Amino acid sequence: MSTFDVHAAAARWVDDHGECLYRYALVRVRKPEVAEDLVQEAFLAAVKGYEKFGGRSSERSWLVGILKNKIVDHFRKLGRETSFTDLEFLSDEFSEKFVPVGFWDHEKGPHEWKPAPDEVVHRAEFWQAMRECLSKLPQKVRDVFTMREMDDVPSKEICTILSITDGNLWVMLHRARMALRECLEMNWFDKPAGGRA
Amino acid sequence: MPEEPYSPSPIGNPSVLARRNRWQTMLVKFIGKHTPKCREMVRILSQSMDEPMPLMMRIKKRLHFLICCWCQRYEEQLRYIHETARHFPEHADEASNVPFPPDAKERIKEKLAEQIR
Repeated sequence: MSTFDVHAAAARWVDDHGECLYRYALVRVRKPEVAEDLVQEAFLAAVKGYEKFGGRSSERSWLVGILKNKIVDHFRKLGRETSFTDLEFLSDEFSEKFVPVGFWDHEKGPHEWKPAPDEVVHRAEFWQAMRECLSKLPQKVRDVFTMREMDDVPSKEICTILSITDGNLWVMLHRARMALRECLEMNWFDKPAGGRA
Repeated sequence: MPEEPYSPSPIGNPSVLARRNRWQTMLVKFIGKHTPKCREMVRILSQSMDEPMPLMMRIKKRLHFLICCWCQRYEEQLRYIHETARHFPEHADEASNVPFPPDAKERIKEKLAEQIR
């Protein structure tokens, strides 16, 4: 591929995928200037590694994959500065869902969720609900959850990057999943515009 | 303090086994006593998303699901979240309206052009 072609392709990536990459980076790091830097680093890395992109995945998946690595590197650098000693969000705030002996309160158990995941991924409103629910999680818990479920970083690596123990990781992931499940049910699946449509 | 009795099955409980008759009631009580309580089960289910569950716990989970459709649903929903969350990054542009600042866009294009030269 000629220099001209790479130049044209790179400019097109920014126009076609810049918005998506920037918004994802912003969800992850919350600071616009840091998000911009990460997106820039991702595009620069994409230009360098363009020859390796064999078209096995979509262009967007490939670019998002590069951005995810940049985000993980960002957290790796922050790792030493981030204190996880004062774990927040560990109180059992969903205890009202269970009767005192520990079984679900039958009136408050999980509702049925529809439609199926492969259908819901095509609905922008679902992603808006997901983003809003993520934003309600405490920062550290959200970082752990997004790193595990969105960036697909192995559990052991997350513990190393964020200097936390396995036990803390399980607790934080559990709390995140429970809170996100509850929030999605209330704000999407139980709403007429959502799964009940 | 004596343990409170297990909350009776409400009408329409969709679990496979509910307290619909004497035999089911006995089975429900037996399984309820010998498998983790739901509060503990949801924690175990979350952990099983990240590391394999030991065989004995897998058996207990299956038994528990017979009497508790809510824990079963909870597990299905953890998988639902896992399945959808991994697609979030590629749909992030649909999740909000925050604009990518045009000046940042231009700056990045210039940087890319410099690198390609």
